[in-house]
Amino acid sequence: MPPKKPSSTTASPANPPKTSTPKSEPSIRNSQDAAQILSQITNNYLERTPQRTKLLDAFMVFLMLVGLIQFVYCVIAGNYPFNAFLSGFSATVGQFVLTASLRVQTNVENKAEFEKISHER
Amino acid sequence: MRLPLLGLLLGLLSFVSALSASGSKLLVVIEDEADKGKYSQFWTDLENRGFQLTYRSPKDASLSLFLHGEPAYSHLLLLPVRAKGLGPALTPNLLVDFVNGGSNVLLALSGEQSVPSAINSLLLELDINLPADRTSLVVDHFNFDSKSAAEKHDVILLPSPEFKKGVKNYFSVDGLIAFPRAVGQVLGNASPLLSSVVKAPSTAYVYNPKEEGESVEDPFATGSQINIVSAFQARNSARFTVLGSAEALEDKWFSASVQLPVPGSKAEKSSNKAFAQKLSAWTFMELGVLKVGQIQHYLNEGSQKGISNTSEVASIDVNPEIYRIKNDVHYSIELSEWEIDHWAPFSPPQGDSLQLEFSMLSPFHRLNLQPKAQTANSTIYTSEFKLPDQHGIFNFFVEYRRPFFTNVEEKRTVTVRHFAHDEWPRSYVISGAWPWISGIWVTVGGWIVFVALWLYSKPAEPKVKTR
Repeated sequence: MPPKKPSSTTASPANPPKTSTPKSEPSIRNSQDAAQILSQITNNYLERTPQRTKLLDAFMVFLMLVGLIQFVYCVIAGNYPFNAFLSGFSATVGQFVLTASLRVQTNVENKAEFEKISHER
Repeated sequence: MRLPLLGLLLGLLSFVSALSASGSKLLVVIEDEADKGKYSQFWTDLENRGFQLTYRSPKDASLSLFLHGEPAYSHLLLLPVRAKGLGPALTPNLLVDFVNGGSNVLLALSGEQSVPSAINSLLLELDINLPADRTSLVVDHFNFDSKSAAEKHDVILLPSPEFKKGVKNYFSVDGLIAFPRAVGQVLGNASPLLSSVVKAPSTAYVYNPKEEGESVEDPFATGSQINIVSAFQARNSARFTVLGSAEALEDKWFSASVQLPVPGSKAEKSSNKAFAQKLSAWTFMELGVLKVGQIQHYLNEGSQKGISNTSEVASIDVNPEIYRIKNDVHYSIELSEWEIDHWAPFSPPQGDSLQLEFSMLSPFHRLNLQPKAQTANSTIYTSEFKLPDQHGIFNFFVEYRRPFFTNVEEKRTVTVRHFAHDEWPRSYVISGAWPWISGIWVTVGGWIVFVALWLYSKPAEPKVKTR
């Protein structure tokens, strides 16, 4: 039984997040429990997230890494062709934002809010 | 019939080959007609060099330095006068105007008679100081002529003047020059226009024969602070030379035999004639006159790179008004120097160099110009450089002010613009931009892979269940 449900994991329609219980709180003090919690979160995520959302998440993590590398490189090596840095970094960040909004729109939970948007978009 | 024609031709020829760079009319102010004979060798020498001499007494009513407001003569030689003043035609004001008008003055002083106060105040204008009592002489107990001044020690014998490195010596002669009864001058050190030509030796001092005792205890000047010959070159390059001893120009000293008071020294002929010739040649603009010929500047990149002769290339844009920052440019200036009777290629003295400044308020570049080519009567100096990374209105500026040379000041103004929007290097040319460019392409590639996977993967069925 998961003690807490992170908001980022997509909710499965079969399991509304009413399951959180106060009794799990003292067990957090234990490091073993923390590990358990983490693994449960992961399991939960892997089991309940739709496959397309996982794909979106993977792409966002990838974009985050690419953006981070570019930023760190700029800090270390200097920003000489600053325009090149701006374009490279903002392309990555922009793609991240677009992907994030796609993720919001394709989330099954938010279906009601985006009724008017067709599947083809 | 033929003879007058020939004479006319010869006259014209001599007029054309007038030897000074600035004109041949020379006014000699001499008080006593009878004294003229004393300098006959000097007059002959000047006439042979192409000068037209006019003799006037300072009291002469017809004497005037100006004609219709312009200097009537190119050169003036002022010999010492016995009178207290120089008269209404030669006031210090008029003489300064004369120099400002571009004419040259050779002023000879003499310790035999007191210096007129007009001369004193004229020299003060130029920052040259004379002894206050006006009758003092330069005396030296080690460098006097033992033949003519064994008692008084007031005829000073000096070798050819020498200058520091980087200054051209127009006054070098062989042997000793005699300066009998010279008036010592002390130059103010504030004026960059003054330069000393002949300095007294370190053992010399200024002495007033009329006042025994006092002047020996507290002399006006001593040693090499005394100048026997000094030169002033005005901002308009007109020259004013002060010769301390007018007697040195006399025939008597041109061929005198002189001897130093050192045991073992031999009597030798004085080199006053050669020195008088050189001093008057310099003062009357026969030496050290510089002329700027053609100035060219052009782009030294693209199709115009490395052009050596601009006349060979038809499409070259010479002396454009506008350049871009960081352009490579080529600059060349042609310089000639007047040598007695012709223009000769100019080269700066050893240890000195001609410099080009590329300046906007202050110089952004100061470069030595290199002699690249030589014609029969000029040297072409060039420099190639990259314009600074600064746009604005710039000058190609050659300024050459040196003692004994006329001033060169040549400015060519150009606009330097910044890069046009399409002249910048593309970012892929700059290797520093590659990491970020690859960042873009990784993002693009990742997106394509994502789209492919997205389209390939089937939406899961929970969709049906929610309904």
